[in-house]
Amino acid sequence: MDTKDFIESGILESYLLGLSNEEEKEYVQQLILTDQGISDYLIDLETNITGYFDQHSSPPPPEIREIITLRTTKSDIQKKKHVFNQNSFGQESRKKDEYLDIEVNDTYIKVHKYWRPAFIAVFILSKIFLIAGLYFYFKTASLEQELVKLKTEVQLLK
Amino acid sequence: MNELERRDNGADLHPVGKNNQLTSLEVYDKYGAMAYGIILQIIPQPHLAQEILVNVFSSPQLQACNSYPFSFAVCVIKLARAKAVEANRKLMSIAQDGTANTFIKGDRSPQVIFDLAFRQGFTPDEVAQKLDISKSDVLKAFHDFFKSYSNS
Repeated sequence: MDTKDFIESGILESYLLGLSNEEEKEYVQQLILTDQGISDYLIDLETNITGYFDQHSSPPPPEIREIITLRTTKSDIQKKKHVFNQNSFGQESRKKDEYLDIEVNDTYIKVHKYWRPAFIAVFILSKIFLIAGLYFYFKTASLEQELVKLKTEVQLLK
Repeated sequence: MNELERRDNGADLHPVGKNNQLTSLEVYDKYGAMAYGIILQIIPQPHLAQEILVNVFSSPQLQACNSYPFSFAVCVIKLARAKAVEANRKLMSIAQDGTANTFIKGDRSPQVIFDLAFRQGFTPDEVAQKLDISKSDVLKAFHDFFKSYSNS
């Protein structure tokens, strides 16, 4: 089979897409090393195949990137742990490598646990002051009315 | 071409970027949309497709692409397809209705052959058997499929 026939046979497309069997794979790998024409054609074919799939690409949701970041970071830590356990007499700097800088994107803050009773106490006190304030306001208002009423009565008696 | 372009002599097929290996996130930023498109072609349910996409880019097999003799894009295409086909097989074994494997009998166009092999996960031998043609015709259809795409 000459180069042209081989190219047109579609074995190379099958090879690049992972559809070929072991025998075909070995055959193609040997030919790539010996035949410059096939090697050159493969470069064009790769561009062609990538172009085809690029045309059918679809942007994934942005959350997927964060999930991949978390998963890859987790597996990196596990790998590093494994290496660290193997070299337990390593230098201090290796311990530093165990910590990874990660960017956490959430809307929560952490506060000390004593903030909870403090917040409850402030809340209850504010309610007490509010009720007391209203009580004294209305009491003062009614006393003022009474005073005005008494003053009017005294003036009438005079 | 790209950063992983082969060296000029053609015989050395190792990627140029071998010393400067790409991380999973860099690969995702570059080829994530393409991989998602491929997975959606095989599994049209977005939620499942997204799960497979995460699986592809957090897979240790992706790092093997750094030593893949061809471009990174082709390696990602193969990996995304393999993961999606594997998931599709599992789904089909649960559903056991074979509805996704429908094709118009008698239609042996390169498009149909490519669809059966790449998207539905049949081997070239199985496709040949299904369509009652030779394996070489199946392989030739792959060539014709990409040739018609490059000509269009």
